[in-house]
Amino acid sequence: MAQAPRPFEPFDPDWGAFAPLRIRAKSIAEGVYAGMHRSVRRGAGVEFGGQRPYVAGDDLRFIDKRSLLRHERLMIREFETETDRALWLVVDATKSMSFRGRGPGSKYAYASLLAAATARIALGSGDPVGLVVIGGDGSRALPASASREAFERIVWLLASTKPDGDFSSRDGAIESALFPVHERARRGATVVLFSDLVDLPPSAKQAFASVGTRRRRAFATMVLSPDEATLPFRDHARFASLEGDIVIEADPEQLRDGYRARLDALAEEWNGELVRHGGALVRATTDDDPVAVVRSLTMAIAGRLGENAPRREGSS
Amino acid sequence: MTFATWAALAVGLLVAVPIAAHLLRRRRAGIVELPTARLLATSPPNARRRSALEDRSLFSIRALAILGLALLGASPFVSCSHLTLARKGGGSVALVFVIDDSLSMRAPIKDGPPRFDRAKQAALELAGAARDGDSIAIVLAGSEPRVALASTTDTDTAKAALAALEAGDRGTDLPGALAIARDLVKNAPQRDRRVVLLSDLADGHSDAPPLSLDGAMLWYPAPELTAASDGDCAIVLAQRTGQRVTVRIVCSPGATAQGRTLDIETEKGSAAKTVVGEDSEAVVIDVPEGADGDLDARLSEGDAISSDDYAPVTEESHDLSIAVVSDTSLTHVETGGPPPVEQALAALDLGRWVHALPSVPDHEEELSKHAGLILDDPPGLTPEERRAVASWVEGGGTLLLALGKRAAEAPLGAGFGSLVPGVVRFRTEPPSGADVTKCGFFGQSAESLAELAPKGRVTLDHDAMDGAELLCSFSDGEPLLVRRVIGRGAVLIVTLPFDLETSDLVLRPAFLSLLDRFAEGARMRGGPRVVEVGQPLVVPGATKLDAKFLSALDKDPEDVTIERHPDALRVPTQRIGRYVLSIDGASDVRAALAPPTEIDLRPRGIAPTALDTSLGGKADQLDAAPYVALGLLGLLVAELALRLWLGRKDEKPAVTRG
Repeated sequence: MAQAPRPFEPFDPDWGAFAPLRIRAKSIAEGVYAGMHRSVRRGAGVEFGGQRPYVAGDDLRFIDKRSLLRHERLMIREFETETDRALWLVVDATKSMSFRGRGPGSKYAYASLLAAATARIALGSGDPVGLVVIGGDGSRALPASASREAFERIVWLLASTKPDGDFSSRDGAIESALFPVHERARRGATVVLFSDLVDLPPSAKQAFASVGTRRRRAFATMVLSPDEATLPFRDHARFASLEGDIVIEADPEQLRDGYRARLDALAEEWNGELVRHGGALVRATTDDDPVAVVRSLTMAIAGRLGENAPRREGSS
Repeated sequence: MTFATWAALAVGLLVAVPIAAHLLRRRRAGIVELPTARLLATSPPNARRRSALEDRSLFSIRALAILGLALLGASPFVSCSHLTLARKGGGSVALVFVIDDSLSMRAPIKDGPPRFDRAKQAALELAGAARDGDSIAIVLAGSEPRVALASTTDTDTAKAALAALEAGDRGTDLPGALAIARDLVKNAPQRDRRVVLLSDLADGHSDAPPLSLDGAMLWYPAPELTAASDGDCAIVLAQRTGQRVTVRIVCSPGATAQGRTLDIETEKGSAAKTVVGEDSEAVVIDVPEGADGDLDARLSEGDAISSDDYAPVTEESHDLSIAVVSDTSLTHVETGGPPPVEQALAALDLGRWVHALPSVPDHEEELSKHAGLILDDPPGLTPEERRAVASWVEGGGTLLLALGKRAAEAPLGAGFGSLVPGVVRFRTEPPSGADVTKCGFFGQSAESLAELAPKGRVTLDHDAMDGAELLCSFSDGEPLLVRRVIGRGAVLIVTLPFDLETSDLVLRPAFLSLLDRFAEGARMRGGPRVVEVGQPLVVPGATKLDAKFLSALDKDPEDVTIERHPDALRVPTQRIGRYVLSIDGASDVRAALAPPTEIDLRPRGIAPTALDTSLGGKADQLDAAPYVALGLLGLLVAELALRLWLGRKDEKPAVTRG
């Protein structure tokens, strides 16, 4: 009798404290209050969305005449816009994401956990969720879906991906990986990138920011190991990157301040690019509370970045 | 040491292992994976930092631990030169340390410390072995021997006193020191009483009988002090006469100063120098005209003791210069030759110091170079002579004044003034003999005065006896010899002249005693200009005395503590050099030179019983294992504490790649 194929590949990534992904993601999602609701944007549309007092400059076409006649009050009728509420998750699974350092798990594991939890929240609100995995043992994508199996498929794809591949010098690779998003995400869709943003090619920033066109919004979560965030090393050493074959011999004690400044500058560049396209950057390290990070991310998507956020953009 | 000891100590070489590990490790910096490496800028090469030991504290602890282990392995065999005290039945011990602080103790033991330092160390080791109930006293054997610490049971006090001892340039008086030690220990309540001799036994009497001690147990625990050392040469006298300096150099047997440089120095530098030739007994150097100040003589280095290669140059000594004024026409001797008083001085071996003067000097300066003056029946003194002599006496001179017929017949205005107040009368009917019982000044020779038969004598007024000391009297009670103290000096008045016509005094043995005591008094009162180190500088009659010591012309003066004795103030001399005295406001420079006997470094013998090993000796082995083990335990705790402290800082991040 032939042995049944196992549903999942062995967990090559260092999941550490983030395993099992499915249960941990559900737990985190339950801890996050806010979801991505359709009520976040109101204005012209076809579906009634409520009333509010008139203010100068409002379109007179939307004055509620009945309210004016009955109560002699100027009220404006609001309607929800007809937009795509899909959430597209883009998870970086290049080789650098396999790094763990002193964190409780690898960056990829943490990014997967955040992505799965965010997907769970969105699905709980009835929003379809799509997934694109960049790198790994072959870039793969799941179409946006709000079905009951969507969460399981997302978890399966994330868990079965082995971080691999060097995108640092592959111009165009990011554009290719984001092609499903460009092709399928409609107006109003939200795209969230989970990546360390470090070993991506130079064009990656513009490539991802371009997702934020056509009334789509692009967000990014910069996931770093605590070692990457603080450079706690003391001894003179040769530091080797996981992508790009870069080896730099350096005295970390001397370079720590400059390193942190460059890291902050990189985050600022990404944030600036995203903000121009209606998005934002959320920074996290793998030892951060994932509940707080996901909440911060959802707040950012809701336009309330900073509320209850454990880590503000631009901070290290 | 045995092979096992060497093998155990060789483990200590493993201390090189952590260093080698570091050197191997530092050749190439380790690789640390960091995805954000591209954000690092290459830091400039810092070879020094890389070559430095990263964890100095941990490395030190580990290196010490390895050395400790090596010592632990070898400790049961480690030899240790340590003096111990063997006790009879475990009882208490009374110890008197006789420590030689003479010049010869400055000589170093072959390839080791000076003998004095070794002696002090030995005394400290033995004092460290003392227990409650033991008593310790310290006697110093440098001449003059003296008690440095009376017997005490306070070991800490004894150790402090031992630690404070300093080497000196004195001579050695071992028999005297042992006698003092015996007196100190003989009444001690302990049954075990020992005199511990710590000396090189070189007292200049190498052929003397072996040292022994009656009445107490003599122990000589450090025979290494007598080990042969290099020869020594010393300057024992440096005397200046005009522009010529005569330096006397004495060498120990077998040593020579030939070829060494002798330098005559002023305060500003070298004034003259010469190379010592074959005859080094007396080296004569002419100094240039300009060198009028104080001079030092210094021999170039090259022997066992350096401190005695120096001596202050003194003026030609007039320590015991005795001036004699005697009318040869009246005091002649039938057999010919000089007057009887000069012949008597020659018999006392003082002839070389005698200076016959034709008349009494009428200037004090002429008298100042003499310590004593003898006036034999002078026909009075002129006012100038009287003033000069009186002033000289007040300054410390000693006058022996023999009065006779001529003195009594002195013309008006030519008396003796304050020297002999009142009228001097000559009488021709003296009693026969002196009262021997009242002539103790002459000692045993006083009996020779019992039959003294002068043809006449001088009688003194009561004024002359006022405040005077009657040293001898005739049988009828009239004075024969009177001493009057005037200022710092004294006048000895003899009521008989020193001629054979009037008296037979000069033929009596008591006359020699008189001159001998006079010479001694003159030496004491005038004070010697140059002494051997150890001999005190005696200043009789002074009411106020200060002293400073100069080890060389270019050195700062050091204060010297004055000793007050009943008869005189004394300045102790401990080292070779100048002693600048302030006597009642007047400055006087004197010198202390190396004792010639100290240059002979050959030891004298010592009784074999003093070397009895049952009294104690060196502990050849010291089990240091417990102390080393405790040290290792401490190091272990220190490393643990250090690791705990450095734990978070030193913990290297775990680098994984998934």
